[in-house]
Amino acid sequence: MVQWKPKLPVSLSAIQRYGLAVLSVSLALGGALFLERFSIRSVEIPLFLFAVAVTAWYGGAGAAVLALLLSTIGFDYFFTEPLHTIYISATDIPYFVVFAVFASLVTWFSAVRRRVEVALRQARDNLRIEVAERTQQASLLNLTHDTIFVRNMSDVITYWNRGAQELYGWTPEEAVGKHAHELLHTVFPAPTEEIHAELLGSGRWDGELDKARADGTQVIVASRWSLRRDERGRPAAILETNNDITDRKRREVEIRTLNEELGKRSAELEIINKELEAFAYSVSHDLRAPLRHMAGYTELLQRNAGTLLNEKSQRYVRMILESAQRMGTLIDDLLAFSRIGRAETHKTMVSLEQLVQEALAEVRQDTGGRKIVWRVGTLPAWYGDRSMLRLALVNLISNAVKFTRVRPQAEIEIGCTDQKQDQVVVFIRDNGVGFDMKYVNKLFGVFQRLHPPEAFEGTGIGLATVQRIVHRHGGRIWAESLVDQGATFYFSLSKSQGAN
Amino acid sequence: MGTLGRILMVEDDPKDVELTLTALEDYNLANEVVVTRDGEEALDYLYCRGTYETRSGENPAVLLLDLKLPKVDGLEVLQQIKSDEKLKLIPVVVLTSSHEEKDMVASYRLGVNAYVVKPVDFHEFVNAIKELGIFWAVINQPPPGSVKKH
Repeated sequence: MVQWKPKLPVSLSAIQRYGLAVLSVSLALGGALFLERFSIRSVEIPLFLFAVAVTAWYGGAGAAVLALLLSTIGFDYFFTEPLHTIYISATDIPYFVVFAVFASLVTWFSAVRRRVEVALRQARDNLRIEVAERTQQASLLNLTHDTIFVRNMSDVITYWNRGAQELYGWTPEEAVGKHAHELLHTVFPAPTEEIHAELLGSGRWDGELDKARADGTQVIVASRWSLRRDERGRPAAILETNNDITDRKRREVEIRTLNEELGKRSAELEIINKELEAFAYSVSHDLRAPLRHMAGYTELLQRNAGTLLNEKSQRYVRMILESAQRMGTLIDDLLAFSRIGRAETHKTMVSLEQLVQEALAEVRQDTGGRKIVWRVGTLPAWYGDRSMLRLALVNLISNAVKFTRVRPQAEIEIGCTDQKQDQVVVFIRDNGVGFDMKYVNKLFGVFQRLHPPEAFEGTGIGLATVQRIVHRHGGRIWAESLVDQGATFYFSLSKSQGAN
Repeated sequence: MGTLGRILMVEDDPKDVELTLTALEDYNLANEVVVTRDGEEALDYLYCRGTYETRSGENPAVLLLDLKLPKVDGLEVLQQIKSDEKLKLIPVVVLTSSHEEKDMVASYRLGVNAYVVKPVDFHEFVNAIKELGIFWAVINQPPPGSVKKH
């Protein structure tokens, strides 16, 4: 902003001002004497008055007094009888007094006029500065993308920036002078009296408002109001900035709806889970009891009537017992499987290598007398549920042991093929009987078996359990095999939480 | 086997009662078994009320408790016993069909002394009952105030 000094007429020094008095009076005197030669008389008084007026105008009051004094002396000396003396006859005194009073009046008037004019100029200049500042500020407000407008205390728009035009579609010419809330169809969240009370009390208000654009579409804005007061502290105008939050609000509503939906779903799931739990409990308790009784009484029958039964009948009794036994195992396995799905996972950092060693120790208890070559590679520590992962490894390793039973020397390799930042792939490879890849999709189903029970025992639930554990670790399980060429089972574990 | 403690069995299933008693008989442990058929009857026995009003007030040497019982279930009986100053010393063995971890945890929380899942296989069942009977009724020294047969 350029600070420029207003040019005032009072820029003369004292010498110049008093010199002006002397000069103007001298010129007036000279002019009067000159005209007297051509017998033009009685012009001296107007000339002296003119000199005094000019001096008063340009030289100020002090210089004017000097000019008045000099004029009086000059008039007395050159133009009143007796000439060339400064003697004043009594008859001339009123004449002098009138002259002096008149000259004083001229001086006074011109001084007043000058003062007024100086004040006026100053006011004009100040006004010009202010206008320049305001214009600059207004153009700055126009630069911002934010929607800004100003309204007076009757809510009539007095300023409307470009951001407002962009948001609402009204040009400044259309908007200024209109009632803001009528133009924008503002819907307030609270009674306007309350909002105004807050604005007047704290000087500001903010909240969410529903408004309409020029084309009639609705827009939700985060609105902030600031109260401007005039120099006497009276509320003068309200500056309102608006931010379009329509999209955000819509997303919030969507998220809320989705959350509610999710809440409903998880409530449903919880109910289903409860039912499943009740079912499992019932299986666990109620189905096992009659089975136990069946086995128990058959056993007692065998004991009491053993000698009376022929061989065939004895075999029947044995079959009943075997079947009861098998059903017991099936129920237990099924329960274990359902427990994997229902139990909460407790994930910690687990050393997979140590887990493999533990699983090996458990499986080896049942491999007495067999020749098995074990190859265990290095495995990382991973984030997972220790007991579940252990169960998975025990299942896979005991499968490998089971299906290599026909080999004179079993070879079982456990390792890790692929370790990335967020995923690890563990494999268990054997040289056992393998399976036909045609049936690979049946491998992980509950009670699915690819071998007759006479060849390899089992309930067909082990791999289903492993798959469930792997899924609960956000991983995947798959297998590769050729009939009689061994099999390799892979499972991946994800670092993220995975599906629960 | 010098002394034999009285066993209180809480079991609603008559077949289970018969099989358990048979198993105990095999080892001559069945003489001192009192059978109650639900939680309420068991508590009546322990508090000497109802049909057990006239019995002498000693506590059993061990309580074999099924969990799934009519009227008052096993966990409630357990809770009642363990929160009663006079009864809390009685060793309680939960003898159940339930493999559920939830039941096991709840039982241990309430202070059960042992938790046994009845095996389906009869031999295993007999063995479990035998060992339980021998341990709690013969080997274990029960707290003072319980019945011992000399």
